[in-house]
Amino acid sequence: MRSKVLLTLLAVLITVTVASVLIGALDYRSALADYEAYRRAAIAGGVQRIAPSPLQLLSLLRGAMEYVEIIGALIAIVLGYLSVTRERSSGTLPLLRTRPVSPRQLAAGNALGALGLIATLMGASMLIAVVSLGVIGHDWVDAAQLTKLALAYGASIAYLMTFYFLGVLTTTRSRNPANGLAGALVIWLVVVLILPQIGDTLDADNQVPGGLFAALGLGHAQEVSILTHFGAYERVRTSLEAASLSKHFERFAFAMTDVKDKYRGFTLGQLLTVTASSIAWMAVYLAALGTAALRVLRTHEVTTSGGI
Amino acid sequence: MTGAAIEMREVGHRYATDPVLIDISLSIEPGEVFGFLGHNGAGKTTAISILTTLIKPTSGVARVCGFDVVTQRRDVTRRIGYLPADVRLYDHLTAAENLEFFARLSGVDTPRHAVAETLEYLDCTELSGLRLGTFSTGMRQRIGIAQAILHRPEVLFLDEPTSGLDPAGVRQLRETVLQLNRELGMTIFMNTHLLSEVARVCSTIGVLNHGRLIYKDTIAATTSRFPDEASLEDIYTLVASES
Amino acid sequence: MIGVIARQQLLSLRRQQTFLAFLAVFLLMTALTGVIGWSSHRTIVQVYAAAVTVLAADGQPAPPDPFTSVPALSLLSNMTIYIPLIGALLALVLGHLAVADEQSTGIGRLVFSRPLSRTSYILGKLLGVGLALGAVMAAATIASLAALVVANGRVPSVPDVGRLVLFSVLSLGYLLLFALVGMLTTLLSRRRSVGLLAGVSVWLVVTFVLPQFTSGLRPTASLNPISDPVSSSLAFFQITARARPLSVSEIYKDVSAQILALGPGRPASTTLAAVVPVVAIVLALAALVAAAAHRHDYSRAGAA
Repeated sequence: MRSKVLLTLLAVLITVTVASVLIGALDYRSALADYEAYRRAAIAGGVQRIAPSPLQLLSLLRGAMEYVEIIGALIAIVLGYLSVTRERSSGTLPLLRTRPVSPRQLAAGNALGALGLIATLMGASMLIAVVSLGVIGHDWVDAAQLTKLALAYGASIAYLMTFYFLGVLTTTRSRNPANGLAGALVIWLVVVLILPQIGDTLDADNQVPGGLFAALGLGHAQEVSILTHFGAYERVRTSLEAASLSKHFERFAFAMTDVKDKYRGFTLGQLLTVTASSIAWMAVYLAALGTAALRVLRTHEVTTSGGI
Repeated sequence: MTGAAIEMREVGHRYATDPVLIDISLSIEPGEVFGFLGHNGAGKTTAISILTTLIKPTSGVARVCGFDVVTQRRDVTRRIGYLPADVRLYDHLTAAENLEFFARLSGVDTPRHAVAETLEYLDCTELSGLRLGTFSTGMRQRIGIAQAILHRPEVLFLDEPTSGLDPAGVRQLRETVLQLNRELGMTIFMNTHLLSEVARVCSTIGVLNHGRLIYKDTIAATTSRFPDEASLEDIYTLVASES
Repeated sequence: MIGVIARQQLLSLRRQQTFLAFLAVFLLMTALTGVIGWSSHRTIVQVYAAAVTVLAADGQPAPPDPFTSVPALSLLSNMTIYIPLIGALLALVLGHLAVADEQSTGIGRLVFSRPLSRTSYILGKLLGVGLALGAVMAAATIASLAALVVANGRVPSVPDVGRLVLFSVLSLGYLLLFALVGMLTTLLSRRRSVGLLAGVSVWLVVTFVLPQFTSGLRPTASLNPISDPVSSSLAFFQITARARPLSVSEIYKDVSAQILALGPGRPASTTLAAVVPVVAIVLALAALVAAAAHRHDYSRAGAA
């Protein structure tokens, strides 16, 4: 935790998370006030059927989730890189290996330390989000929303741990640690930014501001009907997105935070069902990279010198 | 100023408020092999950094080959070669590519020819096409010496040249230093801890203690002055403890 | 001496795996840009045709075609994303690598104990970096042109080629900005990895955070060449929008769109005025890099 860069990145993540929630909460408060005014006027006018609030409180956390997806992943990679290089450069690994602690325990200890740090960071982020929504947005999350939010942040912990293991892997396997870090950055660029970007670009609905289907005056049912004629195209597009762990995290997190209209009104059970493949993919990536990283840490050469 | 190869007049240097060198005055004649001794942190590397123009003295005047290291930097750097401690070169380039680059930087007219000639002189032509990243400490040291003498400098600075070398490497270095001094007339300024090598290689020694020069004389005069001491190591220990 | 430094810089780059990896990703995405653009455009046209059919079956009139006229260079719209996204990171890594070895491994002791001034050194590095980025943009431009020809089945017109060249020049300027950032953060750090990560942090803030603060664009919206119109009614944005001239990634996207005629036209003077702050930032960064190189203590090696 004493790394200046890590602390800087953490500060950036916390700042932009707070700012993102703040901006959304201010806008929500304004929209909520408008809705309350409509409701009062409707009641006073004797209107029987009052439209429910279209506002989705948790959707204000969309920006925060995206920052976890992009900056959080980078922080986790740096954490993985630092956990390897600090022991390399200080030369403490040979000392540790001569103690009655097995390589497996050492590796697990490293991972648990990172897990603790990431869980603390995500827990703090969640707390900040809830408080910001309540204090600034003037609307507090209820029990059901809190559960979904907890699941979203739980997924973020798993997501970030996967990138932590990536940072460990690339750094350990590289002769020059700085090259290992750069290698992880290339992978981060492709997985977090490029693959989702291609998928979004190829998405027909993204071609016009505000959505293509909305611009054509088409509803969801009509959109689905039209897209059945583009099965092959959609398969290619969704395959590209499926290759990106970030996209799976995004799908799950957005489902839990009511970002996508198509999931509004779904129960928790229904949400978990529709996002089952994303959950599965996240679990597979975490298990695969975690296993590989722990194995590499256990068998890591103790005589390797500290980089440049 | 005299015709000395290296001259320091009340040279001082401090990092922030921390004095590292205090009023160093010494003169080294052309052709001498000077051994600079001192404990870790005494200021030996700082002295070399000043003489090789990497840093400026905060007080005093230093000259190499008669040129001021601050105001006539270009003239100084044309005439010196430098082998730092734990020498590093561009790992992803070959030995020849590294040396050609440094030859060009030194203003050598025919870099490739100079590189080939130097490698042959140092008997390490076989290393020419290999990438530095694969080299052992001894191999790096030899290429390090090569880059330092490509342009046939008048003065050669060596900072802890025996660090990390095995006995064979130390012996090879000793022979190279003596060869450069004998055949090319190079003045050698060497920081070192290895007193056994100092006794074999150097003609003059200086002792630095907490930034101050506490002793300087020829090896011959030193052994005469301390007849009761069995070795240079004993003399050094005595001198350092008396200061 | 400047030429010696630049030459060595270019030779080194050809062997640096990190740089080559980023370069490969960038050139691949550049080559794919035209294909992606063509593929998505073709799909949109078909979606519109299908929408007309579906609506007609429901007795509804055909909606206006959102693509009544498509600029010829619109197929390259994704380049306005890949340059700030991948190109800028590539340039940052390039800038970092240009000065990292001398700064962190102690090679600087060998370099500066030679008759080489700090000014010549930094000019040589800037020349090397500029030439490398110029070659990258030239390759990207050729790849884009080839993609346009192959995807469209026609050769672009002379004015369109001129626009593409102008876009490449603008992009080169944008990449130079980040190369300078990479050089500066590395020169100011004793540890090599810190220098690189500090540069990446700056890139993150410029590419994702500034646009959100000044224009309300969410991070993933910054990755789409077509962004939702942003509500600027909030008092917050009325304050932060004043910082928009510093949001270089937004300026770049905006000016690129003008050059490539991807959006509504504006007077050339307005577009040119928008570039002025970016040019000023580049010049300021170059001066800072030169100052940092002059002040740096090369007598001590840094760390990994």
